[in-house]
Amino acid sequence: MKNYLKLVNFEFNRVAKLFVVLLGITLVIQMVGVIVLSKEYLNMANEKIYEDMMTKIEFLENFGKMNFSQIVRSIWFFGPIGLCAAGVGFYIFLIWYRDWVGKNTFIYRLLMLPTTRLNIFYAKITNILILTFGLVAFQLIIMPIEMLVMKGMVPTEFRSDMGLNKIIAVMPELSIIIPRSLIELILYYGAGVLAVAILFTAILMERSFKWKGILVGLLYSAIAVVFMILPLLLQEFVFNGFFYPIELLGIEIVMGVMVLTASVWLSRFLLMKKITV
Amino acid sequence: MIEVKAVEKKFGRKKILKGVSFTANKGEITCLIGINGVGKTTILNAIMALTPINKGEILIDGKPLDKHSFEKITFIPDAITMLPQMTIAEAMEFMKDFYTCWNQERATELLGFFRLNQSDRISSLSKGNTAKVNLLLGLALDVDYVLMDEPFSGIDMFSREEIANVFTSHLIENRGVIITTHEVGDIEHLIDKVVLLDNGLVTKEFSAEEARENEGKSVIDVMREVYHR
Repeated sequence: MKNYLKLVNFEFNRVAKLFVVLLGITLVIQMVGVIVLSKEYLNMANEKIYEDMMTKIEFLENFGKMNFSQIVRSIWFFGPIGLCAAGVGFYIFLIWYRDWVGKNTFIYRLLMLPTTRLNIFYAKITNILILTFGLVAFQLIIMPIEMLVMKGMVPTEFRSDMGLNKIIAVMPELSIIIPRSLIELILYYGAGVLAVAILFTAILMERSFKWKGILVGLLYSAIAVVFMILPLLLQEFVFNGFFYPIELLGIEIVMGVMVLTASVWLSRFLLMKKITV
Repeated sequence: MIEVKAVEKKFGRKKILKGVSFTANKGEITCLIGINGVGKTTILNAIMALTPINKGEILIDGKPLDKHSFEKITFIPDAITMLPQMTIAEAMEFMKDFYTCWNQERATELLGFFRLNQSDRISSLSKGNTAKVNLLLGLALDVDYVLMDEPFSGIDMFSREEIANVFTSHLIENRGVIITTHEVGDIEHLIDKVVLLDNGLVTKEFSAEEARENEGKSVIDVMREVYHR
């Protein structure tokens, strides 16, 4: 356990700079987006009211009040989230390959540590989770600040204030990163952890068997995905909705735990018996 | 004792090791010699479970390698095993964090021995100094066995001398060492046992001292005989 925590800390320090850069980019781009979109709205209001001689009421009837969901729907807001998601996605591969590729032979040291090699797997997957939760937590922190900035720029009569829940209601895609219920949390983040575990296993297969490993890894990933969607397909086409949604969720969770266990077991086997530096 | 028993290893269809067997004792320097591609590095990797073997068995003091073995045996490959962006001090801190057998006193002694500056970043070091850091990180562990892969490869004469001096010092004393090298001349007088490899097999395993005393032959003389060069 102690070695696992040390490895988690070590791995996090390796990615800390990239993490801070992603946080910085998110903050700057989203904040600029809030300012630019608020300004655009105000400029339009000024133009319509002072140049086209529209009354305030007419303007609001025609163009509506500004609300935060307009910002959330813009590229200014979604762009950085997409960038962070792509960054984490890229890092899932980089976190392994950087220890092998090029002049870097750090994998020798990692594999020769006096601890179970599975701790390397756990430490790396934990880091992916830390990055993800860290980015989501940061998003949750900066969103109220961004709302405040918008409130500071757009006068009360021109805006309708929304809470986080309402924003997520009008922007369901956001609930993937900010789940609104425990079930959503288990579903989205459980699926995320599972996907990372499957990918890690596939990467270790490639690292163990090279070209053949890519094929085996792809095959394993495909089997895992089929295994996971099998209950949904059976429910739809064979059982014709026999299970209640909550039962289906239970089945999916059991299937997920089975695939996760298989991935961990396979990864342990590969790290112990098949890996090649 | 390290026992390598009938180890076979294939890379794709090519069989690199065809049943290699030898032993390396504690307190002795065993040198693996063979031409490039004969599988010397593969043997060291296999001993450390860094590559799987197809057949055979490797035992360390009678037991197969497990996670506890890494407090008993270490491997110094021909490339640095630390992150290039780390300073030497950070690399030592990492080792201290993970290995209970890390001996800081010895590490400090080695720093002085190799005239290394612990605030230097590994990426900024010359090839010779990088090799010395690698040696430092391996030798500062209080382990019974040390495996070294080509410690003299591509290193200038003076650095080679410094590294060779390590073998005659107390830093190596009482440990079992397996070393692979092309520069046999540098350490010929220090080797206790020689394992000659050719075509995936051990062609000769002999005591360097016995060859010198009984047959009047140096390690290089025996190599010439075996390899017909």
